[in-house]
Amino acid sequence: MAASTIAATPGIVLEHRPWWRSRSTIVGAIVAVMVICHLTLSRTLSWPDSLVWHSLNHYLDNMQNWLAAESAKTHPNFAYRLIHWISSGLDALVRWLYHLLSKWLTWPGTTLLAGLLAWRFGGRRAGVIMVASFASFAALGLWDDSMQTLALMLVAVAFSLLVGVPLGIVAGRSDRFNALITPVLDAAQIIPAFAYLMPVVIFFSVGPAAAVITTMVYSVPPAVRITALGIRGVPANTVEAALALGSTQRQLLWKVQLPLARRLLLLSVNQTILFALSMVVIAGLINTEGGLGAPVTNGLNSDPALAILAGVAIVVMAIALDRVTEAVAERTDPAKRHLDVEAKKRARLATGAVFGTVAVAAILGHLLSAGSAYTRWTAQDWLRTQVQNALDYVQKPTTFLFKDLTNPVGNFLVAHMLQPLDTFLVQTPWFITLAGLTTIAFVLSGLRPAVTTALMFALIGAIGEWGDAMDTFSQVLVATAIAVVIGVVLGVLAAEIPWVSKAIRPVNDVLQTLPQLVYVIPFVYIFPISYVPGLIASVLYAFPVVVRLVERGVRDVAPETVEAAGAFGATRLQTLVKVKIPLARDAIMLGVNQGIIMVLAVVVIAGLVGSGALGYAVAAGLQRGQFGIGVVASIAILAMGIALDRVTRGNRSAAKGGRS
Amino acid sequence: MRGKWLYGTVGVVAALAAVTGLIVASTATARPTAAKASCGTVTLNEQAWTGSTANTYVAKYVLEKYLGCKVKVTDIAEIPVYQAMAQGKVDAVLEDWQHVAQYKQYATKQKTVVLEGSNGLTGHIGWFIPKYLLQKYPSFATWKGIKGHEKVFASPEAPGGMFLGGDPSYEQKDTQLIQALGLKLKHVTVGAETAEVARFSQLIAQKKPVIFYWWTPEYRNAELNLVEVKLPARMKSCQDDGSTNAPIADYRCAYSSYPLEKVFSKKFVASGSPAVAVLKRFAWPSNSDQNTVSEWIAGQHMDPAKAAEKYVKTHMAVVNKWLGK
Repeated sequence: MAASTIAATPGIVLEHRPWWRSRSTIVGAIVAVMVICHLTLSRTLSWPDSLVWHSLNHYLDNMQNWLAAESAKTHPNFAYRLIHWISSGLDALVRWLYHLLSKWLTWPGTTLLAGLLAWRFGGRRAGVIMVASFASFAALGLWDDSMQTLALMLVAVAFSLLVGVPLGIVAGRSDRFNALITPVLDAAQIIPAFAYLMPVVIFFSVGPAAAVITTMVYSVPPAVRITALGIRGVPANTVEAALALGSTQRQLLWKVQLPLARRLLLLSVNQTILFALSMVVIAGLINTEGGLGAPVTNGLNSDPALAILAGVAIVVMAIALDRVTEAVAERTDPAKRHLDVEAKKRARLATGAVFGTVAVAAILGHLLSAGSAYTRWTAQDWLRTQVQNALDYVQKPTTFLFKDLTNPVGNFLVAHMLQPLDTFLVQTPWFITLAGLTTIAFVLSGLRPAVTTALMFALIGAIGEWGDAMDTFSQVLVATAIAVVIGVVLGVLAAEIPWVSKAIRPVNDVLQTLPQLVYVIPFVYIFPISYVPGLIASVLYAFPVVVRLVERGVRDVAPETVEAAGAFGATRLQTLVKVKIPLARDAIMLGVNQGIIMVLAVVVIAGLVGSGALGYAVAAGLQRGQFGIGVVASIAILAMGIALDRVTRGNRSAAKGGRS
Repeated sequence: MRGKWLYGTVGVVAALAAVTGLIVASTATARPTAAKASCGTVTLNEQAWTGSTANTYVAKYVLEKYLGCKVKVTDIAEIPVYQAMAQGKVDAVLEDWQHVAQYKQYATKQKTVVLEGSNGLTGHIGWFIPKYLLQKYPSFATWKGIKGHEKVFASPEAPGGMFLGGDPSYEQKDTQLIQALGLKLKHVTVGAETAEVARFSQLIAQKKPVIFYWWTPEYRNAELNLVEVKLPARMKSCQDDGSTNAPIADYRCAYSSYPLEKVFSKKFVASGSPAVAVLKRFAWPSNSDQNTVSEWIAGQHMDPAKAAEKYVKTHMAVVNKWLGK
């Protein structure tokens, strides 16, 4: 059922085939055959135990123990010493930045520094946003935790961009490097952080450095991907013209490719910030310095309202950093900036004034002993009561919300969608499922993706995760289908109607950065069926990325084409459905593809609120010190991700080939 | 060009002035505290459950108030914290629920952490049901009485009867135990502890039947009015960890009860800090003491530091014992 939904999404078929030869019909037929097999054959044919490599767990556990023992030696080898230097350097950098923001500048100095810097380089609006964000940290009563997180995130984002953008440039200019790095990026985004927290701790110990590294694993990939996309998006004829005029490779990069890719470079900064901030809670699990992750992790048990407030602080920080960097980039855009001598002079005077004011504020702060963190008057208690009241309402089983709305809807979803699909995938004999999925991959995308699919699912069987993987797979399919439908609809609307675009952007930002555990627990109360809260978490995390990509794709359709359609008398709706959406097909497919990756990225969170299966196994691996179990389950998630990714991506290149 | 230098200099001078001011100011404030501290900084790790918050903050209050230590509280996850203790970045964990593999790796083999005995509490895992259910079905007091009545626990995802499984961090064998007992319950992994609490408290609020993996000590138990279902007695070959792939018959027994362990970093023990002796003696008189503090923190949303102060002030005899008086 869900498999055909995925197939139906790219159903904007450019070449017209008779209905009985269309891809969706063929896929439907394959699914029908699988269902018949499922109903008629014996129901207990799971992946045979004799084909499972059971000792993998042990090897992995032994490897981790060996690493831990090596790191405990008094004279570690060179690799450990090198890592030790990196980690102490990063530790020192984050700690220094935190001291600067708290002890040295004191809170009035820090607020002024942030506000005035934003104002100086990003304009008045940026300044106001910055000061407002600091004011909300104060009001939330989370000043010190916010400064810890801010210091950590500034370092993590800066290093992510330092690593990611150059890699992205290389990937954009070299096909071979791009092919090489893509699976690495997939792995970095799909493998749950829970699986590698322990190795990170063994190498980098606990503390800011470990937190920075964990964050970077997740926030470097978007920087690389989007930068590469930007470099590739520079029209080939422009590049040829530049080369014909005698540009060197360096000139080509700095004078042509980078300036023309500017918009996407900005998007990569934006996504790097959001991805980094979405790691605050997980990074907090191995940080010694507190930060906003701690009130979330502890609050979930003892004070859910405080956990929500800490989540809000994370979101505020993400949005402020994003909007300010955007404003700075707009203002410094060389295409728009024309400063005369006088203006330059004034600008420098302003910079001097900024530092002067901050210095005065800091000195005053010390003289009046304002303190490193703002703690005087906060609205925390009042806000906590309000949030707690809201939670109490949501959690009461007698309210209309629960009794008449969410409980029946949830029961229906489980009874008629999730449970049957799950039973179907888990209980169908493994060879039928494997053959069916491979054939579907072949019909949708061709031979190579089909081979990949077969290999990946065979791998899942061989490492002994078939049952759990099918369980997770069914939930991933449903979540992706819902996320893609919501994402495509909202993305198209946002591209067409300016106010929708404006309204949806903050929603996307919130959903990408608010720690899922914070808002998903109330869903356990209102949808008390194990799969549903995890499904909601996955959809809410995945659809913003789909919206962003679809919106950009539809908007980037060449205006001449749209005008031409208008000249032929097409209505707005016709232009949209017959011209824009088909032409934005690549972007939409990229949206589907990224949607899947996002859904897989929250499999662990989903597992923690009732989806069980692979996500639960990964969490158990970390939290009970069973490294092997966690890694094996992560490999299964990754294998599933690679298969789904190649199937959706293969379609894109096939479409391209067909068109030319 | 000259203008550029001028403004640059202004900026630099201002920054320098600021830094000098700061250094003067910070050293001026830093000196007196440095002279006072004899115990130095002790780092305690708070784990992600309320009982652990209670331990950590009560110990913090005692160390700071009576020994003049500076106590830093970290929030590192349960397993990575072993590596942190091995490296001396965290000094002590005051409540550990039997991480046997880690004991072997870090305490026995590497000798980088030290097990310091019980914190006074006895941890016990079991199958729990709400009391109203027991009143309705008195036979549910033991597992035998549930046999044949599994459908009472029906749920959307398990029409034949649902057993709510526990948080992935905790030792479990319920799938195997259900199979060994021949019960027709379906083991449903509801996720993290918070999610499990959400799920069963929603059912309890509606006075519906529910059976789940749970434990003592836990401050909510009294308020929720839970009773434990009796499971077969323990035998010699009894297994509690479902991931060990032991023969299914070995799981046919109740979970064990064990003391909750204090774990210290070897470096901390060797440091000679007066805090070591006090933390070695740190132990709750009973499970209910910790439950009380936990209830103040999580039930009444009292600030952990204030809850600790309240406990210490009302239980001086206990605290004096810890202090060796």
